[in-house]
Parts: sequence; structure tokens; C-alpha cells
Amino acid sequence: MQSYWFGDVDNERCSPFKGDVNSHVDRIRSISASMDTFIPLDWMQSVLCGICRDRADYIARLQAVCIAASERSIKEHYSGKDAELLQMVRTLDEIDTVINLLSERVADWYITRHPMFSRKYRRTPAHILIKSVREKSRGALGRVAGEIDNLSDTRTVLAKEVSARANEVMPNTSALIGGLVAARLLSQAGGLLELSRLPASAIQVLGARTALFAHIKTKSPSPKHGVIFQHRRVHNAPKGVRGKVARVLAGKLAIAARLDYFRGVAVPEFLNPAQERIDASGKVKES
Amino acid sequence: MIWIGDVLVSEGEGGVYKERMLGGARVWDPYRSKLSALYHVGTGVELTPGMRVLYLGAANGTTVSHVADYVEVVYAVEFAPRPMQDLIEVSRRRKNIIPIMADASRPEYYAPLVEAVDLLYQDVAQPDQAAIALRNCAFLKSGGFLILMLKTRSVDVRKEPAEVFQDTLDAITTAGLIVQESVWLTPYHHDHAAIVCTKQT
Repeated sequence: MQSYWFGDVDNERCSPFKGDVNSHVDRIRSISASMDTFIPLDWMQSVLCGICRDRADYIARLQAVCIAASERSIKEHYSGKDAELLQMVRTLDEIDTVINLLSERVADWYITRHPMFSRKYRRTPAHILIKSVREKSRGALGRVAGEIDNLSDTRTVLAKEVSARANEVMPNTSALIGGLVAARLLSQAGGLLELSRLPASAIQVLGARTALFAHIKTKSPSPKHGVIFQHRRVHNAPKGVRGKVARVLAGKLAIAARLDYFRGVAVPEFLNPAQERIDASGKVKES
Repeated sequence: MIWIGDVLVSEGEGGVYKERMLGGARVWDPYRSKLSALYHVGTGVELTPGMRVLYLGAANGTTVSHVADYVEVVYAVEFAPRPMQDLIEVSRRRKNIIPIMADASRPEYYAPLVEAVDLLYQDVAQPDQAAIALRNCAFLKSGGFLILMLKTRSVDVRKEPAEVFQDTLDAITTAGLIVQESVWLTPYHHDHAAIVCTKQT
């Protein structure tokens, strides 16, 4: 017997599937064919079945069912808790880029108005400089500086939201590496399901694409860490053991991502020994 | 195929992606569409009004809309949700596009929807492109055509494009398809090749 969207066909005998568009959608999502014994469908059968009048009617009905099915699949895809987090963290990283870009430009602009100004030997962080530019400058320059300032405030709010959402969506991963970096891993992988399917070695270099391909194509050394470098555990580790810490951490992250995907709650029996193991890997052995 | 001078066009409702119109027809830009590029650099497959087409990797429906202007019906398979939203919009405005949100490497899930086709067009940019095409040949009528757009960089970045091209040709020939034409799509698309084959009768 072959199951098609309009009904089941068995040696010229056809039992039609009766129902509205929605029940047809349920049907086509539940049936599948075995490709070894598959016989491509013949639309004439749907006429014999009493489902369609003619070719145009057949195409119109099939199109209506397929559009409804695709719409439902899209809706389901976006309803996952990770879908919004993905957009949030990508927005955050793009705001950072914009702030840096505009700050550089505003500093250059400010210098042309004040030729004697130099940032050398000053300990003024960029955001303080922007604040003073905002206050001291007339016209568009002051306004641009003001916008950068506002954008920085938005960034702070957004960063908090990302962190909180990450703790909720991926509690185990966030516990190991912090909400922000966990969210960035998610963004690089493309989703929680995708992240949970990655091997530890891939998680370790997630976000180090350029270095990784340079390594594969030429003889340059392999990257030791990607976005996980942003966590203090990796970048604060002594240089000699940094690669080792990254490796151990990535190994535990791979397990954590799977727990997040399949259980969705923090698992202390895993987290406590994992934290100890990662901390231990960062200790340089006294000789 | 319809040419106005050396411009390839298709006849249908315009405004799908702000394409240029020429004498009431839609200009089919070879820089945007790999299939159009194939018609510019090679022969391709003549699209006729009675054709049924299975299109794998439909993306935003840009090329799909042009193909649909020429043929009877296009079954358009796409997996990613973001471009699928655009594809649905294009399908709503054309009677002969059937959008299917599915993974082209798992034909068993959309097999109950698709009939036997005259042309299988594949543009999926996956490492196992050739294998995906061969798996979908079950839908191809004997004597039907397969057009495979090979993005060599997606198959294996470490290998030379020419090497990937040759490997794919070998895989297709071994599977019993007859290669009719194989061309690089330069200058329109770099490191992309088109392979046209037929299924033996």
C-alpha cells in the first residue's frame, strides 16, 4: 500500500482521506514513504478516489494543504524558547559593533575640533570621553555622542535580559560558563538542538572560524578556543594550561547542552563535579 | 526559453523581488540566479509549458518564480524557516508553486506529496550534494533531466574546486545517469558549476 496526501492506494483500490485542510496537514506530517518500494503518485488516482475533479483542482487543493503545512512548521520553529534568545544575543553583539564604530568616529571628529587634544597618557575610558563630548559639543556631534550614550544604556538592559533568558533556557550551560557566553555559543551553533548535537571539539572552537579554516587549509596551528575564551575560566587561566582548560570546559559544555535540550532544568549531580573538574584543570602542577 | 536580444526573460506577474521588466516580461538576472547563468554560459534544459519540476533548495523563491513562469507545476522544497516565509508568499500569488518545508536529504517525508517529474533541479549547497540528488532521482521520470548546481566550496573547502567537480561527475556517472553538459558558471558565479544529466530510458 502507498500512502499519499489524498488517501491510501492499494492495487488500483483507493481509500480517500476525508477532512479539512488542517486534518490534511496532520496527515502529511504523520505519513512517510519507504523509498525502496516507493511508487511516485499519479494525480489521476485522486480523481478516481473522488477527491478532485481535474488537474487544476488537484494542484489547487495540494497547494492549499502544503501552504498550511509550511505555515505550521514555521510557527513551531519560532515557538521554541531559544528562537528569541538567538535574536537577542545577535542584536547585543551588533549593538556592540555599532557603539565601537561610532565612538571611534566621534573621537576622530572631536579631535579635528580640538587639535591639541590627545588621548595619550589619559586614563579616560571611551564611554567617559563620549559623555564629555556630548556635553561640550554643539550641533550634530553632540547629538551623535548622545545617541551612543543612549545605545550604551540599551545595551546594558539588553545584556541583563540575555543573561536572564539564557539562565532560563539553558540552565546547565549557563551555570558553567555564564549566561552571556552561553547565549553566544547558542547563537554560533544556530539553536539549542544544533548546539546539543555538536561534539565537544566543535564547541571548543565555536566562533574561531577564520583560525580553524586557516588551520585546515594551511599548516598554521589549530585554534585552542573560540567564544569560550570570553569566560574568565579560560582567559584568566595561565597561558600554559589555557588550551587544556578550554578542552575540559568544552567537554563539560557538550554534556550540559544535551541536558539543557533534553531535560531543561539544572542538574546539580552533573554540575558540582563538573565545576570541580574544570577548576582542577586550571591549576598548574607544582614540580 | 524566451530571449529578448541577449536578455533572458520569463513571462509572468512581476514585482517578486523588484526584478527589471522588459517588454512586459520579467528579466531573469544571471548574476542572481544560477539557473539563468547556466542558460547564458551553456545550453541547459529547455523549459516547456507541460513540464513538472521538483526544485530542491528553493530558498526565497526567486529562481522558483521564473521556473514557474515557464512550466506547469513546481514542487519547491526548502528547509530553513526564514526563506520559507518568502517562498510561501510567492506561492500564494502563483497557482503552480507547491511549497514544501522539508529536508531535501530525507525525501521519504515529502514523497507522499510529489508526483513523477520531468526535471529535478537541485541547488542545496550541502557537502553531500550528489548523494542528495541521487536519492531524489526516484521522482524523476525515465528520460527526465537532472540539473545539479554544485557549490564546490560547500562540498569541501580543503579541496580544489576542479577536484570536487570531477568527484561529483564520477559519482553521478557511477549511479547510471548520463552527463550531458557540465560547465562552470563564471563569470556570473565563482566556484560554482552546473551539471546537466538525463536518466536512462
